[in-house]
Amino acid sequence: MGHLLAIDTSSGTSVAVLKDGVPLAEIEIADTRSHTESIGDAINDALKQAGVAPSRIQAVAVGRGPAPFTGLRVGIAAAIMFAEGVGAKLFGIVSLDAIAKQELAARGAVPGGDQAAQPLLVTSDARRSEHYWALYSGLDRHGVPVCIEGPAVNRPADIETMLAEREIEASRASVVISARAIGELFEAQAAAGVLSDDVTALYLRNPDAVEPKNLRDFGKRVSG
Amino acid sequence: MTDWIIRPTVEADLSAIMAIEHECFPEDAWSEDNMRFELLAHHTEYFVAVRDEQVIGYAGLSKVPSSDQGDVQTIAVLPAARGEGLGRALMDALITAAKRLHAGEIFLEVRADNPVAQALYLALGFDHIDTRKNYYQPAGIDAWIMRLTLPQRSIGREPVVLGIESTCDETGVGIVRGTTLLANVISSSMDEHARFGGVVPEIAARAHLEALKPTLDKALAEANLSLNDIDAIAVANGPGLGGAVMVGVAAAKALSVATGKPVYAVNHLVGHVGVDILERGQVETPTVALLVSGGHTSLLLVRDLLDDVELLGETIDDAAGEAFDKVARVLGLKYPGGPEIDRAAAGGNPNAIRFPRGLTQAKDMEKHRYDFSFSGLKTAVARWVEVAETKAAAGEGAEINIADVAASFREAVADVLVSKAVKACVEHNVPRLLLGGGVVANARLRELATERCAAAGIELRIPALSLCTDNGAMIAALGAQLVMVGRQPSSLSFGADSTLPVTTVQTL
Repeated sequence: MGHLLAIDTSSGTSVAVLKDGVPLAEIEIADTRSHTESIGDAINDALKQAGVAPSRIQAVAVGRGPAPFTGLRVGIAAAIMFAEGVGAKLFGIVSLDAIAKQELAARGAVPGGDQAAQPLLVTSDARRSEHYWALYSGLDRHGVPVCIEGPAVNRPADIETMLAEREIEASRASVVISARAIGELFEAQAAAGVLSDDVTALYLRNPDAVEPKNLRDFGKRVSG
Repeated sequence: MTDWIIRPTVEADLSAIMAIEHECFPEDAWSEDNMRFELLAHHTEYFVAVRDEQVIGYAGLSKVPSSDQGDVQTIAVLPAARGEGLGRALMDALITAAKRLHAGEIFLEVRADNPVAQALYLALGFDHIDTRKNYYQPAGIDAWIMRLTLPQRSIGREPVVLGIESTCDETGVGIVRGTTLLANVISSSMDEHARFGGVVPEIAARAHLEALKPTLDKALAEANLSLNDIDAIAVANGPGLGGAVMVGVAAAKALSVATGKPVYAVNHLVGHVGVDILERGQVETPTVALLVSGGHTSLLLVRDLLDDVELLGETIDDAAGEAFDKVARVLGLKYPGGPEIDRAAAGGNPNAIRFPRGLTQAKDMEKHRYDFSFSGLKTAVARWVEVAETKAAAGEGAEINIADVAASFREAVADVLVSKAVKACVEHNVPRLLLGGGVVANARLRELATERCAAAGIELRIPALSLCTDNGAMIAALGAQLVMVGRQPSSLSFGADSTLPVTTVQTL
């Protein structure tokens, strides 16, 4: 594979340029409220630091969340347009999967190893007292994490209840996602032949909007 | 003094044109379908000569945006009207149109046995550059190929600018070359908001993300260009719905980094004013602009499009379009309310019910001279309907006449909008008014504005509806102006500003 641009805006703004799975440059902006302001410079700076011209990017991989919507969309919109702008291929990665790969590897999980080892619960903040989460059994032989439950969004207590009811003892990971992890999972998925071009955002929640039962009644409330 | 005029063709001219077509070209007349296609096509410009409301001649030019070549498609004048200079006037109209569309040269074919026409074209500056044997069938007459080279004043130097608009529920991508519209593609999420009775910001933002790539692809195809042909990118960074604006801004920045082309962050509302460039080549200033949509109701004084835009007033509560949506719900009509109320109001009496005109009393003139308020009007309509329904249920009154309520409400909105806009023109000694925003689709608003502007001696500009609603072309047009006067591009670090003031035409 050639050069990869990896983007994730699930938490802060994270951009990395990788070649064959090796990061050449990484830009991390922790602020979770400045994605729009940061994304252009972050991509530009990552390319400059890596010494890679935009036209040499052959693939773009973007984190699809699940994550708070407003920021998540910034990264996906940028990835779509960057790929369009340079004619690169575009791929979507479930952000929690990328965290799982990184954490399983850090905990000594071996690709294709014993799946009976302790499963890993990956969570991230979903605001409103809820967590996004997914449960992983281990890494397949290409190093791709095997998701056995999720991604979903629930209150932490409900996630615990679910695990307890099913008698699952999971280790826990709740770390901030990095574009580098997106890039590393991209390489593993490429090797396994399981890349996905689906870049739709994983919202997991419906928009906050109340559909009036009766449009007529709803309208009349303006006088009340 | 001539007693005929030259004007752009409208579809209603088709039958008159076909009659002339058959009279002038008995052997090889075009079919009516072909002629209709020619008249309506985006890449053609047709003109008719009219005397006493009768079409007596016509001519057409073809100019594809991606090419700098114009072609005279046809020209015909009724035999009885020849020798009066109509042919020359029609040719002048085509040449003017070709220049406006930035053609570098114009080609035509003329029968070798028509010395009168050849003399006219030679006099206009066309050269005889080639002859095609047996071109005109079945008679087998040769054709002269003639070419007029136009001054290269602007060719190659007018920037091609791509504009991205995502401030509300329309994803728009437009492409212009200088002041010429090349593409204007809009993807609307309106239908998804219908069951909620109004725009839901999160639904709009989600729809933008989905629509970005297809809308861009369509716009490039429409302009017959690739991203390599784009010189700059413009994006509306506000005012509007924050989450929605962010999608467009992120897209524009990434496209800028990917292509190495500069990005210009421009004001959405000033874009509504700048769109007039695409129809007239410039925005004549000073002008007052009345911008009315589901999200905005603003009255601007524009002394200079890029440097001097002042907000005279705006709504202090609901936007006019919002009032239409809400009143539509009260009347049991669908979303969006504007067209529904327009339909319901047909045949209704606009003076049946005197609904209040917000902020028009003497006491409002000091603080809210040019501001609007539609919240009270909406409440008044709801109250009126409630009271009338209660009476009807008790057998004390007649059934509600929806047409009268809709017409009276619409009259109140149009009246206050136009009154304040005309007042602003008069009080600032500005001789022209420009309308913009989706509510311009409202028939009564246009009608009233036309009447009152005419009465006050104010020139009224209403751009085509496709340019009045939110669109990317207006953003591209404003961006192109910034490029052409040599403004610096924006940095990559500007944000989305949901309350961007109109005084900030470009965010650096």
